[in-house]
Amino acid sequence: MPEPIVIFDDVSYAYPGTEELALRGVSLEIQAGEYVAILGLNGAGKTTLGLCVNGVIPTMLGGELTGTVTVAGLNVIEYPVREMAKVVGMVFDNPEFQMSQMSVAEEVALGLENAGVPYEDMKRIIPETLELVGLSGYEERSPLGLSGGQQQRLAIAAVLAMKPNILIMDEPTSNLDPIGKQEVFDMAAKLNRERGMTVIVIEHEVEVMARYADRVIVLDKGRVIMNGTPDDIFTRVTELATLNLRVPEAARVATLLAEKDLWQGPVPIRTEPAITAVNELLGATHA
Amino acid sequence: MSMQMALPIAMIPGNSLIHRITPLPKMIWVVGYIVLAFSTTNIVILYSMALFAFLIAVISGVTRPLLKACVILVPIASSLLALQIIAPAVEKPWTSVGHIGALALYGNGVYYGFVLLGRIVASLIMALVVVMTTHPSDLFTTFAKLKIPYTFNFMLAMTLQLIPVFQREVGIIMSAQKSRGMKGRGFSAVLPSFVPVFVGAIERVQQLSISLESRGFGSAGIKTSYRQVKSRPSDWVVAIVGVVAIATLATMSIMRGTWNLSTVILFPHAFVFWLFVVAASVFAAVILVTVFYMFKR
Repeated sequence: MPEPIVIFDDVSYAYPGTEELALRGVSLEIQAGEYVAILGLNGAGKTTLGLCVNGVIPTMLGGELTGTVTVAGLNVIEYPVREMAKVVGMVFDNPEFQMSQMSVAEEVALGLENAGVPYEDMKRIIPETLELVGLSGYEERSPLGLSGGQQQRLAIAAVLAMKPNILIMDEPTSNLDPIGKQEVFDMAAKLNRERGMTVIVIEHEVEVMARYADRVIVLDKGRVIMNGTPDDIFTRVTELATLNLRVPEAARVATLLAEKDLWQGPVPIRTEPAITAVNELLGATHA
Repeated sequence: MSMQMALPIAMIPGNSLIHRITPLPKMIWVVGYIVLAFSTTNIVILYSMALFAFLIAVISGVTRPLLKACVILVPIASSLLALQIIAPAVEKPWTSVGHIGALALYGNGVYYGFVLLGRIVASLIMALVVVMTTHPSDLFTTFAKLKIPYTFNFMLAMTLQLIPVFQREVGIIMSAQKSRGMKGRGFSAVLPSFVPVFVGAIERVQQLSISLESRGFGSAGIKTSYRQVKSRPSDWVVAIVGVVAIATLATMSIMRGTWNLSTVILFPHAFVFWLFVVAASVFAAVILVTVFYMFKR
């Protein structure tokens, strides 16, 4: 069994100037090539967790970190963020706030320039990366002139160009329309399946996570309270409801029906099997 | 109101002869223009410089945006000339050329008024033409080659980049305030939107700094550049011609004690009188229009 790529060992963290812990004794492991969804209410510590993985916490933001975070065999405390950048790429919720260059190509080039990648290599990597995120032909456009979905894909391209092993997306679609959301998640899934990239997504979109994620981690008040496959987690409907977290509609409806003995069999978490099951159910009643 | 106001000074894409010159020779010309403009008081040289810069603008095909940006010269020119006629910046005695009520008008300062204006016009047009025909990234790549520190360079580039963003943000916030019944026009409406814009700016900068650091921004090692600026022989010609022409004229001016023509070029009294009337009216009009828009509901 290979070593997990991300290991949190009893990690607690308080932001500078605060007493309250944003993370409380978090221990978890993420395997290379996994697609992990992190759920939780605002303030549950999701973003903090993500920032620990790329070392922005505590290297850039300060504060008190106890326990150890090991990413690809590196203890994050010992490496500056710019070193971690070669392993971990992180994109944030507001794509526009991550743009700093005059053109799409230069935005992708920024990380490469900082890493000292020679021009000849950049000339090859940049079109490749843009192709990967579906932005070929946009090289000379201004990043600020793109749509939200395109901007977010560009932000992802900008970190992908550095060939990280892990991609962390912090609510990547909260500012996007449904088409934009779809674009971003399809791409992340493709990277995960075809390139074996480890993907960590911090999200509220449970439907989407039910479809793509291999594993779901639920945080509440800085603690990991659930950690399992989507099928395990999303069928715990009442538990999630007490945490004020949404569950996929399919699971909710099936659970409600099961309470009234109208549903037999396993509770579905994805919409399509639920539709098939409901149709069968209706077909059976009508017959 | 359109949300995306175009920045009055930005690159105008094109493929003219001037667009194809690399940034360094252009920068030499701008710096040379400023040096020459301040080492001479010869209005023939100054206005020839302005005319030459304007011709370059015509060749580059940026005449229209240039003239638009030059609107800023109207209040500067009118106030400068009007003031020089009321209170010349030269030693007394002054020769009166007429009166408007109790206001005495003098002709001695007109020449210096035109010198000051010529310096501004020539340098401004040249600088604008260069900005309008140079891709900002090429400019910053050149700065980097000149060993200007990376962070400083990035700061400059970022500022240029953020101006349209903030313009748009001000627009959004003003619309929000209008929808809540606040004034939506003029300067007094822009003022209350400053606080939200600045708060937003701080948030944006924090997020950006984390995002940049995550892409190795603070890296101490050697940085490479994606944009390649390659000088061709023609660029060298432009640079050398610039240096020679400007150095020659500047030396000639300095040798002749700034080559002042104020004793040669004399302005008729009537000309000065009417110049004042026109300049003062234009300036008054500018102020009136500004005030009108400021308080317009």
